[in-house]
Amino acid sequence: MTSKLSRLLLAGAFAIGLTATAIPSNADAATRMGVVVKIGGIPWFNAMEAGIKQRAKELGVDAVMVGPTSADPALQVRAVEDLIAQRVDVIGVVPNDAEVLEPVLQRARDAGIKVITHESPKQKNADWNFELASVDGFGDAYGKMLADKLGGKGKYAVFVGSLTVPLHNAWADAAIAYLKKNNPEMELVGDRYGVAENVDESRRTALDLMRAHPDLKGFLAFGSQGPIGAARAVSERRKGGEIAVLGPFSPGQGRRLVHDDVLTGGFMWNPMEAGKVFVTLGDMLAKGQEIKDGMEIEGLGKVHPDFTERNIIVDQLVELNKDTVDKLAELGL
Amino acid sequence: MSRTTTTRPAAGAPTLTGRLVAWGSTSEVGGLLLFLALVVLGFSLATDRFLTAPTFASIAFQLPELGLLTLAMLIPILSGGLNLAITFTANISGLALAWVLQAHGGAEAGMFAFALGVFAALAVGALVGLVMGAAIAYTGAHPILVSLSMMIFLRGLGEFLTRGGDISGFPEFVRLIGHGWFAGLPVPLWLLIGCVLAWHVLLSRTRLGLTIHMAGSNIEATRYSGIDTRRTLMLVYTLSGVMCGIAGVLMLARFNSVRVGHGEAYLLITVLACFLGRVDPFGGFGRALPVAVALLILQVIASGLNLLGANQHLATALWGAFLILVMVIRYLWASRSPHRP
Repeated sequence: MTSKLSRLLLAGAFAIGLTATAIPSNADAATRMGVVVKIGGIPWFNAMEAGIKQRAKELGVDAVMVGPTSADPALQVRAVEDLIAQRVDVIGVVPNDAEVLEPVLQRARDAGIKVITHESPKQKNADWNFELASVDGFGDAYGKMLADKLGGKGKYAVFVGSLTVPLHNAWADAAIAYLKKNNPEMELVGDRYGVAENVDESRRTALDLMRAHPDLKGFLAFGSQGPIGAARAVSERRKGGEIAVLGPFSPGQGRRLVHDDVLTGGFMWNPMEAGKVFVTLGDMLAKGQEIKDGMEIEGLGKVHPDFTERNIIVDQLVELNKDTVDKLAELGL
Repeated sequence: MSRTTTTRPAAGAPTLTGRLVAWGSTSEVGGLLLFLALVVLGFSLATDRFLTAPTFASIAFQLPELGLLTLAMLIPILSGGLNLAITFTANISGLALAWVLQAHGGAEAGMFAFALGVFAALAVGALVGLVMGAAIAYTGAHPILVSLSMMIFLRGLGEFLTRGGDISGFPEFVRLIGHGWFAGLPVPLWLLIGCVLAWHVLLSRTRLGLTIHMAGSNIEATRYSGIDTRRTLMLVYTLSGVMCGIAGVLMLARFNSVRVGHGEAYLLITVLACFLGRVDPFGGFGRALPVAVALLILQVIASGLNLLGANQHLATALWGAFLILVMVIRYLWASRSPHRP
């Protein structure tokens, strides 16, 4: 029975195979691009995919997002290889590891494909890398927000994810420097605490700090769990509204605390916007448009690119507060 | 195995396809090659971008690192065991090469330093394998336990030595090994072809190959027939380690850096490729060439689905569904054979 069945299948397959050669190829002029992200199926990159799809529809671009099943850089290399095979016009990457991608991106560019990266400012073999938040812009925005909430004076404490996370510490440096310069009456309590990737440690540290400094007025927490933990501590001590808690956090996780008035807010950048920028930039490059200084690009605003490092860095921050948090949470973020 | 397919009176005259199917069901490689042809045909129908030189290049560049790791997995499975430490052994070997290169000037290191580094990488791989083999042979512990412990040890050691980061900055010619072309084929593919042939000869033409198969079938019977099974097991894991070393060198060249976690996702795919290549999960039966064809099938499916823009998680799901399908078909074939009840 099996042999009869497989014979039938084979014969059918060969018949279709013969007709297949007659199907005309659908060569078209629309830009084709693929964006390889760190990992597929998590909210951040789902939002990015939504942005890519939306912008691609607007511009008439054929764009897909490839999300590997684990954050293994080797899988990103494979995804890029397959995009080269598809002869796309543009490859976008959010690298897990900038160096691992260097040789394969070199091959992509040798094949005449434009390469755009995101969150990888020192990427080699990319035509452009774009960032929606600069280190100083991000830190300054937080410094300014904290000064506003505290009225320019009072004690505050700073949390970072860990003392060895370069980005968190760079943000903290920028925020503290801003406050020192513009609001000398504000005082940093202790050193920075490396607890902000852990809710419970953040909560305990915040409780300890409130006990040690009864006049503490603000927490600045860089690290996804820091603002949540500090807000819980504030809630437990019933100090909501008296102590400001600022930091980037996941809107879905923090929305209740924001509405309870214990988590004040913060800034983040929107992965959906990043997805749109990928498509906008990709379409421009594929059509041979040059990126120039002072140029207005949708989603990025006025750009001042760094032509030697091939970076386009802007500050397109989204404020997290009572009005925006629900909308962002609905994106699944 | 089964002659009934050819002698059974078919609905029409014995056609070419009928003979092909008959050949496919009796020969290990034949069935897989037929299947490969079907998969290729299917994707060519789905998109006209499939049967092109760039797709070939993409597959040819992606296949080797996974292929070498699969070969490293093959021999332990044949001997009735498993080696879960392959990816970490490969990366530790890669680290050895990276350190030798860095000690000789990093990006300025010459050919001699590279040769020395490759030797160091293979030696490290062999040593890791030998330790595992000795533990399995002399304590009688299950290979899954031993190789799992080795995997955890190597991961911890690697993370400790590199502090979880990358080591990079290698001479330009190293990149050629991972991304260059030689005589019309990508260099990594040549490396894989060479290793597959070596493994094929080793398994089907040498005394060791025979004893590996015997040990996989029934290790006690093999021991009572006067074969030193401990020595065989140690050689099995040492060879597996050497192959990991080769894979480590290739991964260093492909990824332009070494990190302990590179290629972690490959581990289970290598097991999948072995089973798809008709290696008996309980050891004793299997050959290198069908496994190579099975790898090719998996890679064609992965690249084809990527070409169609399918979701990566869907591709993983299809791989799993596909393996179940293969098991069922194999069972049906086996139950049709007159030699079994």
